[in-house]
Amino acid sequence: MEGTHAFEQWLWGVTLFLKAGLVLLVVYRKNNRVLPFFFSYLVLNFLQSVLLYETYRIWGLDSPVSLRVAWGTQGLVTLARALAVAEICHAILARHRGIWQLAWRLLAGTAIFVTVYSWAVSRGRWELVILSLDRALEMAMVSAIAILFVFARHYQVTVTPVIRLLSIGFFQYSCFRVINDTILERWLHHYASLWNLLDVLAFLGSLLLWMWALRQTLPATAPAPELLPENDYRVLSPAINARLKALNEQLIHFWRTEGENT
Amino acid sequence: MNIAFYSFFVIIALLFAVFVWSQRSSKKHTAPATPPSSSLDLPGSHVAYLPQIRRALSSTDYEYASKRIPPEALRRMRRERKQVALGYLAALREELVRLLRTAKIIASLSPKVAPKQELERALLAANFLWRYRLIRLSVWAGFAPLPQINDLGNLLSGYSVHLEEAMKEMGERAAMVAEMVSSPDRRRIHPV
Repeated sequence: MEGTHAFEQWLWGVTLFLKAGLVLLVVYRKNNRVLPFFFSYLVLNFLQSVLLYETYRIWGLDSPVSLRVAWGTQGLVTLARALAVAEICHAILARHRGIWQLAWRLLAGTAIFVTVYSWAVSRGRWELVILSLDRALEMAMVSAIAILFVFARHYQVTVTPVIRLLSIGFFQYSCFRVINDTILERWLHHYASLWNLLDVLAFLGSLLLWMWALRQTLPATAPAPELLPENDYRVLSPAINARLKALNEQLIHFWRTEGENT
Repeated sequence: MNIAFYSFFVIIALLFAVFVWSQRSSKKHTAPATPPSSSLDLPGSHVAYLPQIRRALSSTDYEYASKRIPPEALRRMRRERKQVALGYLAALREELVRLLRTAKIIASLSPKVAPKQELERALLAANFLWRYRLIRLSVWAGFAPLPQINDLGNLLSGYSVHLEEAMKEMGERAAMVAEMVSSPDRRRIHPV
């Protein structure tokens, strides 16, 4: 147990060091101008770690003050991460104005629905309120990223490797947190120390992925595609759908004939 | 509470699968950065082979052959006819995929997209695909739905012609706008 604790502390130190390194790397590469919300999230995350270190040093690990500071700041950091994910969604789809108009509503709607669902099915204990809210937000981010990439694939939108790696980092960490929070909710005290360790490990994975992704300077603005006149979609889209409908009717007709024959 | 507990794992597993699927071979499916007016893959290739396929699959042809060739050759002919029917169905599906690709490119390059249209198209495509699989299975099992295949071909050809007309209209309109913009009196142009 003592060994695990020492390893956790060492890991925590390494993560803190890497967080600072990533913040500096982003500033050095001037990527903070391209991804301001992502940068804000990294800074807040780093500041939270410093604050927690001081809080634990002064009041100890299990004190109520430390607990309040930890969860209070965690809320802020999770919110900053949600904004960074929204920034990623915008970076991928915003150049395609029509799809973006459609996607952001769907992404926001899904995120709200998933948040409400996660909140509704959580256990109604007051000490688990923050944990449930945290899981609900993580769940919303996981859904948003998954749907975002389905959209991008469906409409054949190019996703740059950097944005893809950043998204994978967010996705894996949020997935992990949902699972970790769900297990913690059930076995609160028995799982707490392992929960911390696994959380740090998952974050370390994302951190390394982001560092690899942001080792180069990103272009300030990606070239926007030349859009078609609005009327073209209005003319062509219903025509395509009408033909597809007729095609399906033919298939239904065929199926019935086939059934009668056999 | 148990269902709620496990539901999180199930949802995460599903979303993870969706995410992994969305990452798969996405490199070869990328939208162009320019309008597709000149490079649209308008289908119509199957139309060229339609008379031959109709002839190869016609029942009179089969009846005629059954009186003149030995049973073994007839069996081989039936097998080959089935292969032709399956190949033709596959070509129809390929053309449908190309048409859907055109629709996606148009949507991705449009400043405004109607959610109703997009949802409708996704449902229609899904409907087509599962019905197509059933038909393919029935052809494979030995039933020969020749007139229906013909109908399918006509339908897709009509679709292609319609699209081709619309694209031509788009091109003419673009040329007209370009001419108007290059004319000296640009102040008279009203975009709407």
